[in-house]
Amino acid sequence: MRYAGHAVLAAVVLFLIGPFLVIAAAGLSAGDTLTFPPQGLSLKWITAVFGMENFRQSFVLSLWLAVGSTALALLFGVPAAYGLARYPVPGRDFMRSIVFTPVIVPGIIAGLALLRHAVIPLGLPVTTALILAHTVLVVPYAVRVVTASLEHLRTDVEEAAVILGATRTGTFFRVVLPNIRNGILAAFILGFVTSFNQVPVSLFLTGPGITTLPIDMLASMEFVYDPSIAALSALLALMSMAIVMIAEKMLGLSRYV
Amino acid sequence: MSDRNFLTIEKLTLAYGGTVAVKDLDLTIAEGELVALLGPSGCGKTTTMRAIAGLIQPRQGRIVLAGRDITHVRANKREVGLVFQSYALFPHLSVFENVAFGLRLRSVARDELEQRANEAIGLVGLKGFERRLPRELSGGQQQRVALARSVVVRPRLLLLDEPLSNLDARLRLEMRSELQRLQRDLGVTMIYVTHDQSEALALADRVIVMRDGRIAQQGTPADIYERPSSVFVAQFVGFENIFKAGQWPLPDERDIAALAWRPQAVVLGQGPHQGRVLGASYLGDAVEYLIETPGGLVKAQTPASARRFALDETVSLDLPLASAARLAGQ
Amino acid sequence: MFEDRRIGIALAAPAVLFVMLAFLLPVGILLSGSVTTPGGWGISRFTTFFAEPLYQEVVWRTLRLGALVTLASAAIGYAAALAIVDTSPATKGRLVGLFILPLMISPVARTYAWIVILGRTGLVNQVVTGLGLSDEPLRLLFTETAVFIGLVQLFLPLMVLSLVSALENLPADVVPAARVLGANWIAVFFRVILPLTREGLVIGGTLVFTGAVTAYITPAVLGGSKVLMLETLLYQRVSVANDYVSASVIAVILIAMSVAANALLKRAAAARKR
Repeated sequence: MRYAGHAVLAAVVLFLIGPFLVIAAAGLSAGDTLTFPPQGLSLKWITAVFGMENFRQSFVLSLWLAVGSTALALLFGVPAAYGLARYPVPGRDFMRSIVFTPVIVPGIIAGLALLRHAVIPLGLPVTTALILAHTVLVVPYAVRVVTASLEHLRTDVEEAAVILGATRTGTFFRVVLPNIRNGILAAFILGFVTSFNQVPVSLFLTGPGITTLPIDMLASMEFVYDPSIAALSALLALMSMAIVMIAEKMLGLSRYV
Repeated sequence: MSDRNFLTIEKLTLAYGGTVAVKDLDLTIAEGELVALLGPSGCGKTTTMRAIAGLIQPRQGRIVLAGRDITHVRANKREVGLVFQSYALFPHLSVFENVAFGLRLRSVARDELEQRANEAIGLVGLKGFERRLPRELSGGQQQRVALARSVVVRPRLLLLDEPLSNLDARLRLEMRSELQRLQRDLGVTMIYVTHDQSEALALADRVIVMRDGRIAQQGTPADIYERPSSVFVAQFVGFENIFKAGQWPLPDERDIAALAWRPQAVVLGQGPHQGRVLGASYLGDAVEYLIETPGGLVKAQTPASARRFALDETVSLDLPLASAARLAGQ
Repeated sequence: MFEDRRIGIALAAPAVLFVMLAFLLPVGILLSGSVTTPGGWGISRFTTFFAEPLYQEVVWRTLRLGALVTLASAAIGYAAALAIVDTSPATKGRLVGLFILPLMISPVARTYAWIVILGRTGLVNQVVTGLGLSDEPLRLLFTETAVFIGLVQLFLPLMVLSLVSALENLPADVVPAARVLGANWIAVFFRVILPLTREGLVIGGTLVFTGAVTAYITPAVLGGSKVLMLETLLYQRVSVANDYVSASVIAVILIAMSVAANALLKRAAAARKR
């Protein structure tokens, strides 16, 4: 029974992780077409990816988008999480569910709706539209994770600060913020990853010339048959792995997922 | 010359949501006094204390501290200290920084800040622990940090909310005497909130018993312990035999509602009344009996050296009027 | 100190208003397009949509794949989760990390791996032709099977993680107790483990099902235009034909599916508990 269980587990892990190994191997191919097993090993395609102008541009955009929208989402999300966690706000559950709707509505609908009924009528530039869409998408994560870490901080600690002479604002920055720092960092990482990997929301909002990395990759798949996308995929997987491992070491990210 | 009306509370009414927790409370405390607010949970004692600290806005009434009306003064400008039941230490700050927190907010110069913080830490016996974080301290040590943190800013009034309830019995006794020493040394006026009558009686100059948001009785610990004025207070301080006027075995006295005896005051083996022993528990230095009488159950305690009574035995007993507490109301 | 509700409202308002204006309002307008007809309001957009055999097929396929992926994930998920909770705490932590990791990796990269594996010159075909099982490469990509495999790989970790946390909260000794009382492993699973971890199954199931029916990348890459699902159909209708009416109908169907999955699974859990 036990061995059967472990055999199944090994198979499942292989099913989950195996494809990454395959893609890493394919990305390390020395040949010019995408095959597996690869025709000899080399770093040729890995270095080639860094030289591809379109990927470089979309990577930079994705990076800024992820950082910017997550930062914005935290600016909205941290005060909201704090206000809803601490004060007897009327209709608190209703407000929370409004903030969480972007998780429930499929991203492609959000992107299309934003394009048709905000971006086009208001004449918003592509980058603004992307920032708006990604911020909306990350706000729920920010609120959820920060709320969870606020629950670990007793409210009488804040009352103690006020009685010792701190203002409300002073209390927030001197007492609350240092104690929810890990939660905010975790929210930032989750938000970053969510935005960086996002496809459906951005699908309608990007255009030729201005596009995010995952969408650029999707588009390139139709006409690129060399191992460059495999190499890029492997690099992205490696980047995520590094982020997750650092985050897990520093904050125990798995508590917030 | 100390101010007899150092803290004056007039007609204070406090409410949580829709429910009134404290109603028309009047209270005066003299400078340097240690007053205990005693009562069961839900009696309004903690709510009153939080209103004095400024954490709750009153519906009605006035709070005057040292001649200044602080009813509408913000909590951070009140010069009132508060030691929380859970200590409420700042988890991210060391012992030193916890204690220095209030001083930093008051922009105390560096040398003075260090000197005062270290003095306060010394006062509570935590020298050598300055760099520890709260989670690295025991409950008793955390309690001391909370105390040092509150007194270092020299509040005019120090409020303590059940400060010993999270400590074990031995530590509680130790901290009790430390609190007394601290109060004597600093001369700070203290209000001590507790549900533990022995703590209130042992510590306070004056005890205020609260019930349902009102004051049930106030007086010296001896007043409260020996001369409870109502059934509620009598029960709270250990009078377990309470009989209404006109009922067995009492005469009908019109000016009192009831008489009450502690188990130790009941005389067994002689007396005008008869009862049957329902139960006996050996307590070490005494034996406690439960006795069925025509007027109800009586709890009696006799020294362990006295004559013992068997279960179901019929005994004579006396409830001497001289040792009874006369209760004027419920 | 936290009595003043106005402060709470002021703190929450920016986020709530932002989501309402930048999200709910445009989505609401989009969805309203599905019930606006030339003559006013009505469901004629839906009847037209469902009259089209291709669309019917896509709706049906989306539901079918969603259900199959959920079932497969549940079956594999239980086997994996039971094996995970059976290991030492240190190993368990590492294994859980192994299941969280893929969730953080770009789904585009995760899906592209299947092209390398299932493509004409991919791993599977190399093996198949190498062993002489087939003379020419099998067509594995752009099939429902490929989409199914891709979706299971994408969403299985969510199921496993939900089940692991449910199994960890299982009262200690219930399984040994059932064994002592003479139950075999099948009975233990169906009579003890399954009822006690139903909540985890419901959570995992909801996540997997809604994830699968609203997936875009997997059907787009592994299914192409041959194996359309609702999201890829929506994209196609908009980008190829500017057909916003169908898009809004599909949007309503997608949201309805997500909401229904939530409600249905919640009810199933409540009913079994009684």
